[in-house]
Amino acid sequence: MARRSPVKVIGSRLLQALPVILLATFMVFALLKLVPGDIAVTLAGDNATDARITEIRQIYGLDRPFLVQYGAWLGHVAQGDLSQSLLTGEKVAVSIGRAFPNTLLIVVIALVLALVTGIPMGVIAAIKPNGWVDKLISMIASLGVAVPGFWLAMILVAEFSLKLNWLPATGAKSFSVSPIDAIRHALLPAVAIAAYGMAEVARQLRGALLEVLSSQYVRTLHAKGLSMSRILWQHGLKNVGVNLLTIISLLVNRMLAATVVIEAVFAIPGLGSLIVRGAIQRDFPIVQGVVFTMVVVVIAVNLITDLLCAAVDPRIEQ
Amino acid sequence: MTMPTRREAMALISGALASTTLGGSVFAQGAPKKGGTLRISAPANPSSLDPATGGAGSDHAFLFTMYDTLTEWEFETLKPKPGLAESWKFTDPNTLVLNIRSGVTFHDGTPLDAEAVKFNLDRNRSDAKSNIKADLLSVDAVEVTGPQQVTLKLKTPDTALPGVLSDRAGMMVSPTALKAADGGVVTRKPVGAGAYAFVSWADGEKIVVKRNEKYWKPDRPYPDAIEISIIPELTTGARSVTAGQNDLIYQLPPRQKAIIERASSVKVVHGPTLYVFQIFLNWAKPPFDNIKVRQALNFAIDREAFVKAALAGLAEPAYMNLPKAHWAYDAEVAKLYPYDPDKARKLLAEAGFKEGTPIEIGGYTDQDSVQREEILIEQLRKAGINVKFVNGTVAEASAAFFGPEKRGAGLLSAWTGRPDPSLTYSLMFTKDAYYNGGRAPVPTALEAAIKDSRASEDIEVRRKAFATVQRLVMENALVVPLAFQFELVAMNKKVQGYRPNLLGKPKYDDVWLEG
Repeated sequence: MARRSPVKVIGSRLLQALPVILLATFMVFALLKLVPGDIAVTLAGDNATDARITEIRQIYGLDRPFLVQYGAWLGHVAQGDLSQSLLTGEKVAVSIGRAFPNTLLIVVIALVLALVTGIPMGVIAAIKPNGWVDKLISMIASLGVAVPGFWLAMILVAEFSLKLNWLPATGAKSFSVSPIDAIRHALLPAVAIAAYGMAEVARQLRGALLEVLSSQYVRTLHAKGLSMSRILWQHGLKNVGVNLLTIISLLVNRMLAATVVIEAVFAIPGLGSLIVRGAIQRDFPIVQGVVFTMVVVVIAVNLITDLLCAAVDPRIEQ
Repeated sequence: MTMPTRREAMALISGALASTTLGGSVFAQGAPKKGGTLRISAPANPSSLDPATGGAGSDHAFLFTMYDTLTEWEFETLKPKPGLAESWKFTDPNTLVLNIRSGVTFHDGTPLDAEAVKFNLDRNRSDAKSNIKADLLSVDAVEVTGPQQVTLKLKTPDTALPGVLSDRAGMMVSPTALKAADGGVVTRKPVGAGAYAFVSWADGEKIVVKRNEKYWKPDRPYPDAIEISIIPELTTGARSVTAGQNDLIYQLPPRQKAIIERASSVKVVHGPTLYVFQIFLNWAKPPFDNIKVRQALNFAIDREAFVKAALAGLAEPAYMNLPKAHWAYDAEVAKLYPYDPDKARKLLAEAGFKEGTPIEIGGYTDQDSVQREEILIEQLRKAGINVKFVNGTVAEASAAFFGPEKRGAGLLSAWTGRPDPSLTYSLMFTKDAYYNGGRAPVPTALEAAIKDSRASEDIEVRRKAFATVQRLVMENALVVPLAFQFELVAMNKKVQGYRPNLLGKPKYDDVWLEG
């Protein structure tokens, strides 16, 4: 079968992404309009009269039909303008540009931590399944899945910030200004999110490896006299590469979602805090902007994963 | 301005006493000194840094640092006192003359003269984007009657104005900046004449202001700069203070007191405020269209117990919309509704209200609100009143009750005070007011009394007028006040000179940093 060129793959995937972006932003917009609560009341201030609220709706175009409002937003986006916060007037692109690096840093550190701890755990567990090491690792992994991130976060803060005073309890610093300071701020939130990731990587990797290790070709490799470590590192892990990449892409998306809660616990001005503030105040340009960014990120992560998977296992392309 | 009367003087003293005995060490130790950066944790991003277009009551904590107001208030009683206007006088009931302090400039160097004041007041009362037009409704024209004097011609007598001018409506913005600003709004580039000049604002993250070297008040301000981090999660904000990343956090819920006091590096200050938890009532529909049911509700609540159980004792039981320390408090009105569940039952019987009929009341979903509801349900049950709370987010539940939907018979919420009490009453107890959920008429005597409260400048006369207003509100039981929340502020021990104020919106006038 003919190989499709990567350019074509990317092109068709981007085309598929368009309806996803449209659908996601439209649904979020609809939800924001459906739930009770009205930004016009917030905009009108503490001493508002009904007349003033009506006037505010006109000034900000909030009295237009729902579809017209969505269309107007979409029109701006098509021109590369995410518009601005209804309340504070800050450009949504500026807010996102400032918030995204904070979130990204946490997710990247969390992912590294999850892989660095999760992969060895999964491998060790798979070598001697049902041994006491495997059982111990399973237990740790179950804990990692079961413990809520925000709870772990508070325990971490109590221990490492308030008691030992090793790491800051709140806030974020810019990576470009001071990388070390930025990492110090991001470390505790990253650990809180990484716990789940570690557990997930360990469990999935163990399962996948067990399947590979019990396959016929591994038996053949054993028969050839290859050592366990060579089988594992040269053949085993290569064959679970696709599984691992899939786990990672799912994890990235999941960790992005987890930042919504974790950022609140650590007062980190990231994407999660931004969308929460936007949603609470019904400041829909902010919510739409963040959702748009998140959708683009998720699609990009999936696309990269697919390309990498195809590189690791060429059969996938067909 | 007149000399304080004996009662006012006593109120001042008792207010000061209350804040010292309740608040612990609020007095600065040693001589104040300049320098340092005051780092504050604030609960909400401001809605705007333009005083005329913003909307949230939480904005003031930011605005007060950058904008000075025409009048100010006494921290303990909220009595108006000179600010940018060094004096004012009602030459007749429909004419208010303001004499503006000389030599004051805005942060951009624009002189703060009569023209600048007129520009601001006209903008505030007529600009389409202004949210505070209602505050200046009584003003017919603003005239420049001298280089440093403006005269306000009024449509109706309005002695609430000196109080009103201590709030948003009196915050002076540089006319130069306003004229140059996009859309005539300085939301993101505020230029005032306050103690601090604006430096930067990153939405939802941080606001930085720096000392105004040309500030008119001698020796003020002390810190070089203020950095306000926006941390909506109050527990996290409190942790940032105990961990030493911030110096001060305000508006802490009472339950935080015991937790934060465990940290040895932190001191806690508290004092009464106008912020009152209350049940708003819709008296346009059953069952609260019946005055006896409304009165029964007021008799059925044990406010002392409510304060202890729901607010950790850090509050003052509320029997009207003003706390004891306020200059217009009336002790007689406060006696109208002692806790009396039997009386409540009797009133319900007289009203023909069947015991146990469920009454739907709106509320909020946060932990503290739900706890308040639980206590009220239990108290009201003892008087045969069966309340069902339907909760939503603040935005949702409030809009459902005050907006066109008219959901529920009441709303358990709160009222943040206003600098002049007449605003509190006119915003809740006039027919078309937004905070009159049912938009139903109020007794004509009350409408007249609210108008009367703005007629005289004499504070004794006004005190009596407010006593009448309050009596009519409470006799008609148009609201169920529950408790005045205390301002609870936790700060690093190096922070000196912070004083709570009755408005409950922090001002850092005398704050300095030790060491």
